[in-house]
Amino acid sequence: MSAGRPLPYGDPDHLAAHQFLVEEAALLDAADYTGWLDLLCEDIRYVMPVRVTTARGAGFDSLADMGHFDEDMYALRKRVERLATDHAWTEDPPSRTRHFVTNVRTFREASGELQVQSGLLLFRSRGDTREADLISAGRTDLLHATPDGLRLARREITVDESVLRTQNLAVFL
Amino acid sequence: MLDLASVLGDVRRGMIPAHVYADPEIFAAERDRLFARSWVFVAHESEIPDPGDYVVRRVLADSFIVARDETGVVRVMFNMCLHRGMQVCRAEMGNASHFRCPYHAWTYRNDGRLAGLPFHEEAYGGEDGFARAGQSLLPAPSMDIHNGLIFISLDPGAATLRDYLGDFAFYLDFYTRQSQAGVELRGPQRWRVKANWKIGAENFAGDSYHTPHTHASVVDIGLFREPKASKRIQGALYQAGPGAGTTYKLPPAGNKHSGFADQLRYVGYPDAMIPAMAAAWSDRQRALVAESGFMPSAATLFPNLSFVHNWPQIDAAGTVAPFISVRQWQPVSERETEVLSWFAVDAAAPEDFKRKSYQAYLMCFGISGMFEQDDVENWVSITDMAAGSMARRLTLNSRMGLTSEGKPLKPPLASFAGPGVAYQGFGEYGQRHWLGLWSDCLAEDAR
Repeated sequence: MSAGRPLPYGDPDHLAAHQFLVEEAALLDAADYTGWLDLLCEDIRYVMPVRVTTARGAGFDSLADMGHFDEDMYALRKRVERLATDHAWTEDPPSRTRHFVTNVRTFREASGELQVQSGLLLFRSRGDTREADLISAGRTDLLHATPDGLRLARREITVDESVLRTQNLAVFL
Repeated sequence: MLDLASVLGDVRRGMIPAHVYADPEIFAAERDRLFARSWVFVAHESEIPDPGDYVVRRVLADSFIVARDETGVVRVMFNMCLHRGMQVCRAEMGNASHFRCPYHAWTYRNDGRLAGLPFHEEAYGGEDGFARAGQSLLPAPSMDIHNGLIFISLDPGAATLRDYLGDFAFYLDFYTRQSQAGVELRGPQRWRVKANWKIGAENFAGDSYHTPHTHASVVDIGLFREPKASKRIQGALYQAGPGAGTTYKLPPAGNKHSGFADQLRYVGYPDAMIPAMAAAWSDRQRALVAESGFMPSAATLFPNLSFVHNWPQIDAAGTVAPFISVRQWQPVSERETEVLSWFAVDAAAPEDFKRKSYQAYLMCFGISGMFEQDDVENWVSITDMAAGSMARRLTLNSRMGLTSEGKPLKPPLASFAGPGVAYQGFGEYGQRHWLGLWSDCLAEDAR
């Protein structure tokens, strides 16, 4: 968590960060994963810890050493390469997804980087007989300013269920 | 009306009535005849290393607290207050000396004994009205531990776990005892899939035939070099005691003396781990790897615990790292299963290896794993189709590897060092073995 207050909604950095997340969501919903990889820094860390149910006061509600994702650029590229093959059955036919991004708050770090916190609701529908899946999560992102615009350097996804109700994570959050 | 005898007769000859994968009557029979007596995994000791550590796990609808008490003894207790039946522990993990029921504050030690209840004297007249002595959360009817794996059985008369494991214990060591230190489990990742629990259990017991096609994408992208049909058909499929599994044929080893180490290096084990693996395993276990030249991959221990050991490439430089996963197919209903998937690694392994092995696991298995994603798509689809009327007119052919007379197409492997029986090539031997055990359970009376 970042210390300090979020930038005012009219701040150009906040507006740029918010737009980055919305444009990113559009790429994911269009399954333009190659375009999505272009938004990531080469040294990206993309993590989604396993959430657990613990007593109030236990001091933790996620596992420090186990995630649903814990990815570097190699791993993300492999996932994207796989989805582009003719044999990624779980996404053929593809899911219909909608990434709803909301509750966006931007913080300016001492280093000048932007930390952005957002809420994400992913709607995922497959086929014509199955109930649709919803995944609710918070995200804490670190954005780097580059000559080509903002790029995602780190994402930590805080999923809101301890037992996920989707058949797999062949999608990105 | 379910004709169970007819279903079991079909299953025993390798023809599976398709509705068994979505049938509420079959599910009720599984609950009353199979899960009411089988040994079922609940946790690994490494998940509760210190006194007071606990995890909460289920066997179908029954919730159990798996705790290490103040003296270090593992206890498995039914998570229901003796007074009004409230869950005494509603977290899934943590550390506690006591569990206090939120309803009326009856309080239990972490070994299950009732420590106290409010107004004992005033409300009950003390020991006369309610004797506290000897009161305890109900213990699991049977509990036993092997290689740190904690199992319970709802049958108080269950055979010992070691007797149950039989010849499968030999294979279990490859996944859960790579050194004297044993393994540590991390996780589990938990998610619910709209699939019948049997499908995953059968798949891991012996389906090497699905790998080249279902998992073609991981070969396409160069993640794992092995799952090609030409490689998979060379593997041995073994059936031993209550388990069955698949292996990969390893390339010919250098020579008799370096063979064992060469094979482990081939799948990515660092030299720092190999002496401990050699010491932890018996001559016969080493021979399976070195002389027979087979490396265990997927396996299932009946009824619902599976294992996998693969060795993908984890970086652009081509580093190969092996990983182990332990996974449970926890039935929710005839059409839904909770998957619990743990990453397992030798507790004594170098930290650098643990990190690489964890990366390898996440890329391949678990909810985001590039193997597992496509497996589950298949299993959900089967379950969906099995729920209709037409599925009651279809028996699925599970006779691969058998002649029309029911004899194996070819003899068992003579040069296989492991116990049980093993065949090389494709065949649904392991699935039929698992289904035979399933049929044995369902043929018994309900408990």
